[in-house]
Amino acid sequence: MPPQTMLFVLLIILMTGLFHIMPGLTRPDLFFAVTVAPEFRQTSGARRILRRYRAMVWVSALVAVALELVAGMAVAAVLLQLLGFLWALVDGHRAARAYAAAPSSILEVDLAMPQEHLPGGPIVASLPALSLGALGLWAGLNWDRLPRSFPVHWGMYGADHWVTTAPAAVFGFLAVHAFVCLLLAGLAWGLLYWSRRISTTGAGAAAERRFRRRLVQLLIVSAYFLACPAWFALFQPASAAIDVWGLALGVVVVAFSVDLMRGGQGGSHRGAAPGSTLVGDRTPDACWRWGLVYVNPADPSILIEKRFGIGYTLNFGNRWTWVVLALLLVPAALGVIFLR
Amino acid sequence: MILRIDLKSNVPVYRQIVDATRILLVNGQLNPGDSLPPVRRLALDLGVHFNTVAEAYRTLEEEGWLEIGRRSGARVVSRAVSNHRDPETGEVFQRRLREMVAEVQAQGLPRNRIARELRRLADTLERS
Repeated sequence: MPPQTMLFVLLIILMTGLFHIMPGLTRPDLFFAVTVAPEFRQTSGARRILRRYRAMVWVSALVAVALELVAGMAVAAVLLQLLGFLWALVDGHRAARAYAAAPSSILEVDLAMPQEHLPGGPIVASLPALSLGALGLWAGLNWDRLPRSFPVHWGMYGADHWVTTAPAAVFGFLAVHAFVCLLLAGLAWGLLYWSRRISTTGAGAAAERRFRRRLVQLLIVSAYFLACPAWFALFQPASAAIDVWGLALGVVVVAFSVDLMRGGQGGSHRGAAPGSTLVGDRTPDACWRWGLVYVNPADPSILIEKRFGIGYTLNFGNRWTWVVLALLLVPAALGVIFLR
Repeated sequence: MILRIDLKSNVPVYRQIVDATRILLVNGQLNPGDSLPPVRRLALDLGVHFNTVAEAYRTLEEEGWLEIGRRSGARVVSRAVSNHRDPETGEVFQRRLREMVAEVQAQGLPRNRIARELRRLADTLERS
């Protein structure tokens, strides 16, 4: 079996393993994105839904692997696996709705809860983008010291797309990187200041703060990592440093991901609040389409905890969400214009 | 210092925020110099509109409990209690208390439970 095919099969198995454990990562009172009683997971009804979901996920993975091995259709195989996962999720969501519990109508907030801040402050968060701005300035003043061409894309075997050094290419390349760095810093800021806190009292709140801090750290560390290829490309275009960079990035992302998954969604596995009578995640079930997409115009939050899996999603009912989405398109557009 | 609101209650959310915060203030759980969460933070955590929280803070400011600064947010201030006692205040209090007792009694809360709660409240008041 060629190494690329082996890698592909491994990736499919890894993804399926992730889909397999996903239902267990959510908060105890959410099951397939439906508000349920925390003890529901132990019932035969819940186990039946879970078995069916996992069977569908693994069957679609097997079909995807077969498609790659027999016909070599990698893209179709990935799409098929994702479709299988989505189908299994929506099916589980529909089945779980029969067991939905009424979410608590009581909302509690601890007025003395400490405020959360960006680690190191806004300067540390925006330093990667600022450093790229400085690099652009240096490049403008020292044009003759730049290489004749530089890489703008890297694959498994190193740089696979080079462009000739020209003002549009250099500044466009730096602008794309700087913009993505700013976007990551903005996302970190949004997580702290524009997301809903679900556990607001006791151990649950502390665990949730820790979870959010980890996510914010991951975003800021990623911004630092993202600034590095721009420096490599302009100073050491043929260097092997990018390989070390790729490995380090992988290790960091895996370490953060494992830590986040061990704590469960919102740190709920670490900070279970014994005796808590409040059920649900403070969002109405009716606002979750297929358990995945949150649309609630009455909710001022832009970012909201996912009900399935780990992390946050957007509130598509908030008009600012669409502004954020439009901003996401900017680096892609810049890349297409300057780095063709 | 827990602020608790009930989305199913007939009382508007802004009123519930005012009432719950006032209880914390008169009980001494919130003291002069303490800060309240910014309007945006509290609105996000409660899942209500920013104006709802802003309205509640404005009401508490009008009552003399809070000082709202553009940058410093909402801060508890020492409130001078007026020496002028409106003779109607006592009567209004008596009427509202009786109305409330009648209401919860009509909703099925046992008399001994109501009496217990009133006694507990009276004890707290006497101790403070």
